[in-house]
Amino acid sequence: MCFGAAKMWLPRETSSLAELLADARVWKLKDAAAGHRLSSRPVWSTGSSALDARLPGGGWPTASLIEVLIDSTGLGEVQLFLPALVECQRKASGDVPWIVWIAPPYEPYAPALAQSGVELGRLLVVRPASGVEALWAAEQALSSGVCAAVLLWLKGTDDRWLRRLKLAAEEGGALGVLFRPERHRFESSPASLRLVVAHGDPAPQIELIKVQGGRPGFVDLGVP
Amino acid sequence: MKARSLRSSQTADLFAPAAPPTAAPAAPTAAPPPPAAPPATPAAALPPAVLPARSARAEPLWYAVVFAPPPEGQPLDLYSLSLQAQQFTSLVSLEPPNALLLEVRGSVQLFGSLARLRALIDARWQELAFEASSAVAPSTLAALWCARAGDHECADTALRLPGRLARLPIACTAWDADRLHRLRSLGITRLGEVLRLPRAGLARRLGPGAVLDLDIALGRQAEPRRAFVPRERFRQRRDFETEIDQVAYLEKALEPLIAACAQFLRRRQAGIQRLELRLRHRQAPPSRVRMGFASATSEQHRLADVLAQQLSRLELRAPVLGLELISGALQALSGVSRDAFAGSGGAGPDTAAELVERLRARLGERCVYGVSTLAEHRPEAAWRRVHELQLASLPTGSVSGAADMPRPLWLLDEPQRWPAGDTLSPQESPERIESGWWDGRGVARDYYRVCAARGVKLWVFQERHTKCWYLHGVFA
Repeated sequence: MCFGAAKMWLPRETSSLAELLADARVWKLKDAAAGHRLSSRPVWSTGSSALDARLPGGGWPTASLIEVLIDSTGLGEVQLFLPALVECQRKASGDVPWIVWIAPPYEPYAPALAQSGVELGRLLVVRPASGVEALWAAEQALSSGVCAAVLLWLKGTDDRWLRRLKLAAEEGGALGVLFRPERHRFESSPASLRLVVAHGDPAPQIELIKVQGGRPGFVDLGVP
Repeated sequence: MKARSLRSSQTADLFAPAAPPTAAPAAPTAAPPPPAAPPATPAAALPPAVLPARSARAEPLWYAVVFAPPPEGQPLDLYSLSLQAQQFTSLVSLEPPNALLLEVRGSVQLFGSLARLRALIDARWQELAFEASSAVAPSTLAALWCARAGDHECADTALRLPGRLARLPIACTAWDADRLHRLRSLGITRLGEVLRLPRAGLARRLGPGAVLDLDIALGRQAEPRRAFVPRERFRQRRDFETEIDQVAYLEKALEPLIAACAQFLRRRQAGIQRLELRLRHRQAPPSRVRMGFASATSEQHRLADVLAQQLSRLELRAPVLGLELISGALQALSGVSRDAFAGSGGAGPDTAAELVERLRARLGERCVYGVSTLAEHRPEAAWRRVHELQLASLPTGSVSGAADMPRPLWLLDEPQRWPAGDTLSPQESPERIESGWWDGRGVARDYYRVCAARGVKLWVFQERHTKCWYLHGVFA
């Protein structure tokens, strides 16, 4: 049945499987595993080999929007991105790029950031008055080209704004990370990577729910 | 007594930096030698090798001018005189109440020769009908003292300075009356005699300031001078024939004002950090919109950008009859921020300064900040917000990760009391923080990292005196 359906849209002259796979419209799930070599896009390591292995290219994609769905804090969710923040500041040629945190739930604690190696002179904290202001600030920072990463905490937003953020991230070549509550899980989202960080015993659970060029599913980080 | 000890040691130490401190013996107070024949001049006592080696090119050259007080007892307008002086050099420094200092080394070549340049500057004061006395010397104070003393001879190398200064009367230093009186009571009237006194004794009798002044005058110590920047402002208004009640039209009407402001700044090679827009209404008092820039700027698109942000948030109270754009104080532009191709167009990637000021223009000044660490053991005092962001370029590789005890990413504003019913069973040994007893906010705490229910990692502490548990941070 399934085979028959596939046959219907196949062009007549396509005969071999190799030709079929060469068609740009065919999306190959296998590329996820082989992405280490294939992907030309730079990636930033997550600091966890188990998670790196599950992501296409072997790390957080740059110039894209990542959505983290999380209901509370304290699950090591920012920790997932700290190695990437440090790496993107260190690897930059010339001027150290900026990192912008927009509306974090608490004050980012400077000694902890310094400990992990973040250049504090290039960290900007923004406290907008409303959600729309926060989104505007994130869009400005992402598209400015002087920021390597923008972390944004939000209660809720709509699809249109997320699309704007994604475009801004691609334009400015920055990594955009959006933290929002888990209730948005079943809404559509243009983010290229979506993951849920949930409570778990003994360690928090990480579930990839959308991976462009990869396979969704739970990730076992091992013992933290 | 004072005079005796001073005189007795005059041959021991000739105010020369080359003499080691041990070379100045304690002044014998018992048997003062009789006033001897005049000792060698300090110039002879200072062999050329003693002077710091310095290339002639790097040596500054100062032109000092001292103005006689105006006849009618009016205050002297140093400000407008500085504006006049700026046509000869870019570094003009004020020396209130009645003198100016001009760094002229860089201008000598432009004007042909030092003599010609000096004649031109002197002629300028004559044209303006000021009675002025000028001098040129390689150090600021030497030039100033010579000008005050009316010594117009030109010495443009540091080698001839000591000899030249030695002839000057001590009054030209403009030291306070008490200090001058003390010197006169020692029988000293010329600077040469001061220079011959032992350095340590001089510092003790006249204060360290006098020794420093002499060092500066002799060119042994550089004296950084604040450059004069004209206190100009851009101020231009535009009136409308009919009242405007749409913000979009206002934006259009502002464009020529912004262009004029940018041109004004470019001509003066200066930038501004503050800008104010006044909107005049027929009835109501004018409304003001104030803007700030993260760094001094003169670029038109940055000015327009911030103004547009402010206007987009503006709610007009009443129709607008006229506009006025007023700049803040002008600041010297750093060479980095000027871009030859960024003059008019708004294209091209943003700079960090542009991003910060755009965010600040819309969200508020206090809502965009940085953080930095402080060397302090108490966790709540070990960081602070930074509002003066360092926007200049920062080279990569300056980060140094400090290996220390673990710290949480979120720190609570106030430690929260942990419910007494819940018991915590930390697995690790604690980190003891006991500090701050000196300022009344002392702490004595044992900090633990704990894994609370369902995988949440917390940073808690136990108050050592009360044994109460508090939550202080979250490992996010």
